[in-house]
Amino acid sequence: MLKGFGNFLIKELKELVRDPKILLGMIILPLIIFPVLGGIMNFSMQSAQESASKTTVLVLNHDTGVNSTEFVTFLNSSIRAISINVSTLEEAVPMLSDYNATEIIEIPSDFTQNVTARTAVRVKFYSVYSGAGLLEGIGSSIIDSFVTSFNRNLAPDILMPQKSAIIKGKIIEGVDPRVLASLMISQAIAMPITMMILLSYSMQIAATSVAMEKEEKTLETLLTLPMDRFAILAGKLSGSIIVAGVGAVAYMIGFNFYLGSFSSLIPSGTNLDLEALGLVPSLFGYLLLGISLFVALLSALALAVIISSFAEDVRSAQSVVGYIYPLVFIPSFLLMYLDVNTLPLPIRIVLYAIPYSHPIIAAKAVTMGDYLTAGLGIVYVAAFTLVVMYAASRLFATEKILTAKLKFKGLRRSKKGATEEYQ
Amino acid sequence: MDTAIELSGLTKDFGSIRALNNLSLRVETGEIFGLIGPNGAGKTTALRVISTLLLPTSGSVKVFGLDAVHEAAEIRKIITYLPEEAGAYRNLSGWEYLEFMAKFSAKNKDQLHETVKEAAEICGLGERLKSRAKTYSKGMKRRLLVARALMTRPKLSILDEPTSGLDVLYSYHVREIIKRYVKEHGVTVLLSSHNMLEVEHLCNRVALISKGQIVAEGKPQDLKDRFGSQNLEEVFAKVVGFA
Repeated sequence: MLKGFGNFLIKELKELVRDPKILLGMIILPLIIFPVLGGIMNFSMQSAQESASKTTVLVLNHDTGVNSTEFVTFLNSSIRAISINVSTLEEAVPMLSDYNATEIIEIPSDFTQNVTARTAVRVKFYSVYSGAGLLEGIGSSIIDSFVTSFNRNLAPDILMPQKSAIIKGKIIEGVDPRVLASLMISQAIAMPITMMILLSYSMQIAATSVAMEKEEKTLETLLTLPMDRFAILAGKLSGSIIVAGVGAVAYMIGFNFYLGSFSSLIPSGTNLDLEALGLVPSLFGYLLLGISLFVALLSALALAVIISSFAEDVRSAQSVVGYIYPLVFIPSFLLMYLDVNTLPLPIRIVLYAIPYSHPIIAAKAVTMGDYLTAGLGIVYVAAFTLVVMYAASRLFATEKILTAKLKFKGLRRSKKGATEEYQ
Repeated sequence: MDTAIELSGLTKDFGSIRALNNLSLRVETGEIFGLIGPNGAGKTTALRVISTLLLPTSGSVKVFGLDAVHEAAEIRKIITYLPEEAGAYRNLSGWEYLEFMAKFSAKNKDQLHETVKEAAEICGLGERLKSRAKTYSKGMKRRLLVARALMTRPKLSILDEPTSGLDVLYSYHVREIIKRYVKEHGVTVLLSSHNMLEVEHLCNRVALISKGQIVAEGKPQDLKDRFGSQNLEEVFAKVVGFA
């Protein structure tokens, strides 16, 4: 046994555990966050699955026989199937929004004839692809289970589903939305992961750089220099953005290779060009996404600067900035799997209220050409950023930047003790 | 002589603690003025208010006629402040640190170079200026910071314990430099110190401060004569009723 190790270890543990910032940030916060996150995920997944099972399908029936009617009745036993009175698929697509439907089933005119003869019949299933995330394929799975059940009553492989996707109102023949979703995984995961890494990393940098000025006793000198106080804040934020940006690029390059290693999971023979399908953001979309990410980053950094100003040293600053992490991690984890529009209203409101949800929402929105959602998110986050920046600039303009201290109830230093060092 | 600093009824509260209590003081241009007193007397608070870091709770603070509350940015153009526990940026070399600081006042590259060269002479760190500040001893860091405070030849230099952490020789060196700058460049110096003997030899006038109030003020010799004391330490002890 190393001489003195035990004694020293006990001292270390006492010092660490008695630090309320560490206790709260490292132990209590994760104990709360992960159960909450798990609960929200569970609830959201259940509601997403429920809504998928309650899906509405439009039935375009070209067959007049009894078997197609039986098939529609079979569908109606589990989901809502509405027969529509149009003759072509092109006429049916605009009706999807009228009925709030996500699928069109086209029954061919020889359906009854083939079923009666026990020969294979091809039924076309068209699913709307909405870029909802990793659960996009649920609708496709439900169709599979229907087809399996229906075939069980007749004979194997009688009903042969032919799946296609409807993307942004256009019919893309032969593209299974589930395959598409697996291809889009990289986009669904990349943005939330980037947000988590970029924001948490840059917040740490910003918090450390402010706390370092205090710890190294350079802040006082800095504040008496003939420079604009806002320039100090702007310099801190810009420096953090640049360093974090370089880090994020390096991270994304590595992450891209990581995702590329999963390409073998895509079914063989699939040859999908996402750009041709319109599932790659346009230049304008990328611009909106960049602005969204930038304003969110700015507000996170300003928030980190404000919070870390209350810390007396680097260690405290890094702990207190951890209190902002739930605002980044919760939307990132949720939106990685789920589409915000499929979530229950209270959770949706909470997500929209968190500024750091918006770049993730914007990433999906611009891919689907929904620039309004991305734009409104930018306006909201920009307004939030302005408020935080104003608060940060006020903090730097006054003596608060020098005298502010984070106090915890029960461990509060006496006023005398706290002010003595300023005398 | 013009007035460099004028404090009138300056009071500064931190919550329920009164750090400065109705402090009034006048420092003339071109003099070295010393604030002396024990820990917690209010010296650093007074220096911080004058250097625009803290706002007064009441009273007025004027630096060369500029109001410390409403014209703080103007004051920062003509002063330098050396805090007692100041540090330098760990990952910058001494030379880079001086350059960074000099850029705030230098009008062109030549002036920048001259300013930094002057600072290099003041601190006497030689080749070590190329090393990062994190490798400096406490004394080396202090020499660098004193040089930073004087190199721009400000109208007013506020030095909180300028020789803190320096050995006898460098303390002497710094005191000589301060004297030279006042004489040659007309810099006004306001400094604080625990070391009353140092203040006695360096300052034209001193103010003895206790519990946020000035208890005696004048030329060191006049104070010694007035209180029949051998040195300022004795004067202080007598004034606060310690002796």
